Amino acid sequence: MTEAVVDVRELRKTFRVTEREEGLAATLRSFVKRHRKDVNAVAGITFRIEPGEVVGFLGPNGAGKTTTLKMLSGLLHPSAGEARVLEFVPWRRESAYLKKMTLLMGNRSQLVWDIPAADSFRVLQEIYRVPDEQFRATLAELTDLLELQDLVHKPVRNLSLGERMKVEFAAGLIHSPSVAFLDEPTIGLDVSMQVRIRRFVAEYNRRTGATILLTSHYMDDVVALCKRVIVIHRGRLLYDGPLADLAERMAPYKVIVVTLHNGAAATTDLAGYGNVVAADEGRVTLRVDRHVAPERTARLVNDLGDRLADISVEDPAMEEVIDRVFTSEQTTVSA
Amino acid sequence: MIRTYRALFVAQLQSASQYRVQSVLWMLLEVVRPVIFLAAWVAVANAQGGRVGTYDVRDFAAYYISLTFVLQIVFSWNAYDFEFEVRQGRLSPKLLRPLHPIHYAIVENVVWKLTTFIPLLICLVIVALTFDVRFRTTPAHLLLFVPSVALGAALSFLSGWVVATTAFWTTRVHAVSTLWDRGVFIFAGMIAPLALLPGFLQTLSLALPFGYMLGVPAEILRGGVDIQTALVLMGGQAIWVVIFYVAYQRVWRAGVRQYSAVGA
Repeated sequence: MTEAVVDVRELRKTFRVTEREEGLAATLRSFVKRHRKDVNAVAGITFRIEPGEVVGFLGPNGAGKTTTLKMLSGLLHPSAGEARVLEFVPWRRESAYLKKMTLLMGNRSQLVWDIPAADSFRVLQEIYRVPDEQFRATLAELTDLLELQDLVHKPVRNLSLGERMKVEFAAGLIHSPSVAFLDEPTIGLDVSMQVRIRRFVAEYNRRTGATILLTSHYMDDVVALCKRVIVIHRGRLLYDGPLADLAERMAPYKVIVVTLHNGAAATTDLAGYGNVVAADEGRVTLRVDRHVAPERTARLVNDLGDRLADISVEDPAMEEVIDRVFTSEQTTVSA
Repeated sequence: MIRTYRALFVAQLQSASQYRVQSVLWMLLEVVRPVIFLAAWVAVANAQGGRVGTYDVRDFAAYYISLTFVLQIVFSWNAYDFEFEVRQGRLSPKLLRPLHPIHYAIVENVVWKLTTFIPLLICLVIVALTFDVRFRTTPAHLLLFVPSVALGAALSFLSGWVVATTAFWTTRVHAVSTLWDRGVFIFAGMIAPLALLPGFLQTLSLALPFGYMLGVPAEILRGGVDIQTALVLMGGQAIWVVIFYVAYQRVWRAGVRQYSAVGA
């Protein structure tokens, strides 16, 4: 087994939060006595990530994704458990570690707003002690990949959200980290900018071999970038394995979409072939058990004959799979 | 480290240049308060035949001009900035870089002082001419003033950081820093020169750190204390710097463990 870049064991983070009920009486009482409650943001998760992997870290809001990333990057001290990233204990925040990793958060800026990004890059060059030649080469590469030519000389506050995110990426990667934690890197961006950022991350991983752990609410990000996903919910690990297997394990059905010729829809009942989940103007969507899908498809083709205009067999949409994972009380599944 | 400081310095200077007017307005606000106290003491002195204790009108002018000058060198806004950074989560990117966040604060401080230095000097010259100032400063006083104001600045900066670092626990450090500022206001020599405080308050002001930030370097600059007294007071400054340096290191270490990276 190769040396894992990220090695997490039974990692936990408990936050103590203050609670009070609404209303004047409760407010006055809270001045004297506060009710505190422990919230397990991360409740003992274990996983490893090998060098060069791009892993999707999935979970609904409040699942513990960002808290985990903050612990792995060194921002937060865990309540219990262990983690090593590149052999370092992250929360010790040794310089040698910080120089090899980056945490990029889609909704946060690390650049100085009032000055052009090019000047912030210079500051980062000195902070990370990047030699001049390496700095020029990295910046040229990032400028090329992210199409930054026109952006780096404008004050950051004059950039659009998408432009700023590209510049943030460059700032976060100017020291050529070998591990990148990306937290919602495409949040709030339009579709075309999302696609560009995805392409960039994939290309960056290919060129540098950097290990990437990525959270996103956009399944397209995950599908485009990650062969492996880790799913957590309420601080616990639900699934760790190939993305392709996630659908098979968590949603053991296929979707057959049947399109009928004009006029045929009204007289054709397809309920006998599977569970009809949608029927609209000659287009019927059926949900069938995964292992009977080929047989049902063949029967449909055979039985419908020339009433059939088109038929397709698909995996359920990834959003649907994930939704099933989160809404069902699944136990930990490891592929 | 010199290269890092140079880069931070250039970036901060560029940032500051966008807010020139704001900087000068803040500086004017800083000058106004001591000048009001100066005017009040001048009125009191004139009503009492020209003196209050050992101070005549021209001594008051020298004291408050020195105090304003020292205030400009010594004072730091970090507690306010720090609270904001912790609450907004803007501290997080800084914590994840291989450079202690205190260095950004040092540079911000220095740049702010530099950008407002010339307008401040102009204001002080006008005040000096208006009140016919008289300094009792000797070359030895000037020599001692340099380390004394440096110790005052270190003390103000480090104590400011200790206060600011409580934001890790409270997230709202404003109340704590306001309380601290009131301490500075009363005991640092702003309301009155330390020598004119009534007995109990004077003892208290010498036991607390505040006077060692402002009042002590200001008195040394105007030549208001003899050299031996100046050296004893500077010893007091050094002790407080050491105390706050140790406190800062401990509080920072504990605070960072406590940091919940709110909002980021």
